Amino acid sequence: MTLYFGVALVAAAVVLFVLQPVVKGVHASLERADDELTETEARKRVALLALRDVEYDFLSGKLDEQDYRSLKGELTAEALAALEADEASKAGGGVNEILEAEIIKLREGFNSGATCHSCSYMNVEGSLFCSACGFVLTEPVAR
Amino acid sequence: MTILGEFALWISLPVAAFGMVLGYAGGRTQRGDLVLSAERTIYAVFGLLLVASVGVTAAFLGDRFEYWYVANYSNANLEVFYKVTGLWAGQRGSLLFWALLLALFAVITVMTNQKKNREFMPYVAGVLQTILLFFIVVLLFADVNPFERLAFTPADGRGLNPQLQNYWMTIHPPTLYLGFTAFTIPFAFAVAALLNGRLDARWIQLTRRWILTSWLFLSVGIVFGMRWAYEELGWGGYWFWDPVENASLLPWLTATAFLHSIQIQENRGMLKVWNMSLVLLTFLLTIFATFLTRSGLIESVHSFAQELKIAYIFLGFMGAVLAASVVLILYRLPQLRSENQIESFLSRESAFLFNNLLLLGAAFSVMWGTMFPLISEGFTGQEISVGPPFFERVNFPIGLLLLTLVGIGPVIAWRRATKRNLQKNFTLPVTVGAATGMVLFGLGARHELPLVTWSISAFVLTVIVTEFWKGTRARARIEGEGHVLAFFHLITRNRRRWGGYIVHVGFVLMCIGFAGAGYNTDSRFNVEPGDVVSLASPFGHQYDLTYEGLSMSIGRGERNLLWQAIATVSVSQDGTPKGILTTEKRQYTNRDTQPMTEVGIRSIVSEDLYLILSAMNDTGGALRNDPGAQGIDLQVLIKPLVNWIWIGCLFITLGTVIALWPSVDRVRLAREKAEGSSELAAAGAH
Amino acid sequence: MKKNGRFMVGLVGVAAVVTYLIWTGVSETMVYYMTPVELIDKVSEDPTFHDVGVKVGGMVIPGTYSRVEGELLHVFTVRDLVDESSTFVVEYRDALPDTFTDNIEVVIEGRLRSDGVFEANTLLTKCGSRYEASPEELLGTGQ
Repeated sequence: MTLYFGVALVAAAVVLFVLQPVVKGVHASLERADDELTETEARKRVALLALRDVEYDFLSGKLDEQDYRSLKGELTAEALAALEADEASKAGGGVNEILEAEIIKLREGFNSGATCHSCSYMNVEGSLFCSACGFVLTEPVAR
Repeated sequence: MTILGEFALWISLPVAAFGMVLGYAGGRTQRGDLVLSAERTIYAVFGLLLVASVGVTAAFLGDRFEYWYVANYSNANLEVFYKVTGLWAGQRGSLLFWALLLALFAVITVMTNQKKNREFMPYVAGVLQTILLFFIVVLLFADVNPFERLAFTPADGRGLNPQLQNYWMTIHPPTLYLGFTAFTIPFAFAVAALLNGRLDARWIQLTRRWILTSWLFLSVGIVFGMRWAYEELGWGGYWFWDPVENASLLPWLTATAFLHSIQIQENRGMLKVWNMSLVLLTFLLTIFATFLTRSGLIESVHSFAQELKIAYIFLGFMGAVLAASVVLILYRLPQLRSENQIESFLSRESAFLFNNLLLLGAAFSVMWGTMFPLISEGFTGQEISVGPPFFERVNFPIGLLLLTLVGIGPVIAWRRATKRNLQKNFTLPVTVGAATGMVLFGLGARHELPLVTWSISAFVLTVIVTEFWKGTRARARIEGEGHVLAFFHLITRNRRRWGGYIVHVGFVLMCIGFAGAGYNTDSRFNVEPGDVVSLASPFGHQYDLTYEGLSMSIGRGERNLLWQAIATVSVSQDGTPKGILTTEKRQYTNRDTQPMTEVGIRSIVSEDLYLILSAMNDTGGALRNDPGAQGIDLQVLIKPLVNWIWIGCLFITLGTVIALWPSVDRVRLAREKAEGSSELAAAGAH
Repeated sequence: MKKNGRFMVGLVGVAAVVTYLIWTGVSETMVYYMTPVELIDKVSEDPTFHDVGVKVGGMVIPGTYSRVEGELLHVFTVRDLVDESSTFVVEYRDALPDTFTDNIEVVIEGRLRSDGVFEANTLLTKCGSRYEASPEELLGTGQ
């Protein structure tokens, strides 16, 4: 008899535990958390990480200069796009200083005139023609 | 306690069903109270399954032989350790154990996600409860209830098969089950992503740790099984392409493919449909593994029972999951479009894709080889048998190609690799690989497969070591650190990558070990006490083995041992005495079979010396301690490089742990620091 | 699109290689599985079958086991599981598995020689069905 009583007690406890939120109207949050990575932030992270990896690969000798500049140009363009998309999606939240600084730094590198607009190859400063595809390099864009 | 456990199992049925409905309903209606309720059912089901499991264990400890399961896997004299672990000794208890582990992981998932990933959690809870419900239904309705009672109470149980009374065999099932059940979590998140539409890489990022952990347990669990077979089955082999072994290999292969292909999705936004399909396939294969092992569909060295009802329930469930998931994937197809394309044949993406194709090809061939005999019998009526020759023939070439890719992947560039990139980075490794092959050939290695394996291994190890070296040197230069510190920081600053390389080293070491089997030697001698046998190992070690004699030990029925015949052999290696090895025959009381053999193993880095007491010339005489009846058949095996398999597994574990280790989120820290200081500045300005 | 075309080639290539390996693998390594009755019938129909490797499942007849002293040679008689009159002698030149005993089901691989003796290369005992006892068997336990 005590067994059945015990079992009934356990069953009742479980039912109460499980149904309490519905009965009492307690809600679990279903909203995205504030500090959660949004899609644009995730992309930005990936883009910046890829840039960092390229730097390291070049410095450790895995990439030669030509490949490095070529890749770096492409990745910088992507990173810029990702940063700007992220900034736009955060537009409501006020200016993020670090983000701004990152964008400025990248833009400087990108628009110093050395990046070919045709094939994204990052040429040496002062070049007139792109070493990779021969495209005429434009004048440095005033910011 | 046991009866309480039985009731607990019954109570868990409606709770799981209720939780399943609430989870999906809460997600659909976005009602937080339903979701909270669903999450609570997960805690409840875990508690109930825990009570049920404790109930089964209590039955073992209390020698309650009226329970069918206890009567078949225990007896009064069994060591307490094996009574405690009796929960997973056989089919019924294993299913309960599986459900318990799954519920535990479900609880961990719910607890760690109380404040995050809230968009996913309702559906995650729903999916997890669906799967738990399945297992509970199987336990209660498929004639596999661990609480089933016999019509009478036997005086004693049948005891546990002596071959299962071994350390490795006790930890092998739980480790594998941890791997199988841990993979359910990524699957649940994948389905949740399909249901809530967040189809970017988020569900992958969230479950990356679960995927790695599951893979680790699967890998280690498989290796534990190999070690058990090596020690216990007495043939010196560790893999037999047994259907049950194959069943555990299948999800490992697809999980490994998945581990690599998710990196492509995270990096380049491609292969979304592929990844969804892979996570589904791997999950189904984990269920299939349980099904194959526990339904008796294929009789093998492992198989435990022959229940058909359970086969239908499993197949039905797998079919339903497959159908539902395919429908969901098709429904979301537009959102699963790739964001980029593969630009070049020669690129890391391409290498990863080939890796995936090869792994899936291997999985397909293993599945085919395992199932074909059954299918063929179903259609033609003619039974055929497909054995190790088939599996080796297909999987050795695939394995070698995979091994080669391990050396190509880390070095080839993303997007597109130029010829210069390849030349620069592959010249040295290819040279080392070829040179190794030539040196080994010169030293007398003539078996092709090991020769090729070792050459490719040298190539891959060169690639990886060079990566570490170049990375350390670059970091030392940039950060101005000493080389040792640079090495340490290199790894800790990018744990995924360098942990992954360590895992690859482990894999290569295991391949080196596998190839050593090409040089196994097997000799048999009939010896009397005092006889010395001499043999040379392929590595040139000279062994002189002196058979000292037999000593008999008559048991008193404790530990179920009737008698033990212990053959003692003194081992001398290259002229130096190295101690003794024993190999035994043991007769157990509860098994009316021939005596079991316990082997003697001496391990050094280069090889194992493996002794087997095959037979005694005169068992009866030996038991009576007749001085004339001490002769034995001694089998001596030499297993070159076998320990590299276990060493490789250690590296795999180390690398995975490094990759899993939480790293400080430096970007977030920097931002918080900046925000904190600007707040302070603002406050200070007042 | 052209790039994807290249991919399909690669994919089809790998799939083709794997399929080829499986196809030849199965056909070259597969072994017919027969009962003693089927094997004896087949061999009398087609004498060349004496040289074909097969796998046979049967049961060891109690009392027929002997070991040849000095050599590693085991001799025993195996019968069909269903038709008890269908038997042949088996010669096996390797170590016996620990579970080998009278009345045990075995799976042997080898060939049936023209002298009626089965030369076995491998021997496995089927102990799957012996792991779990029927209630009747359990009645007999305990001393």
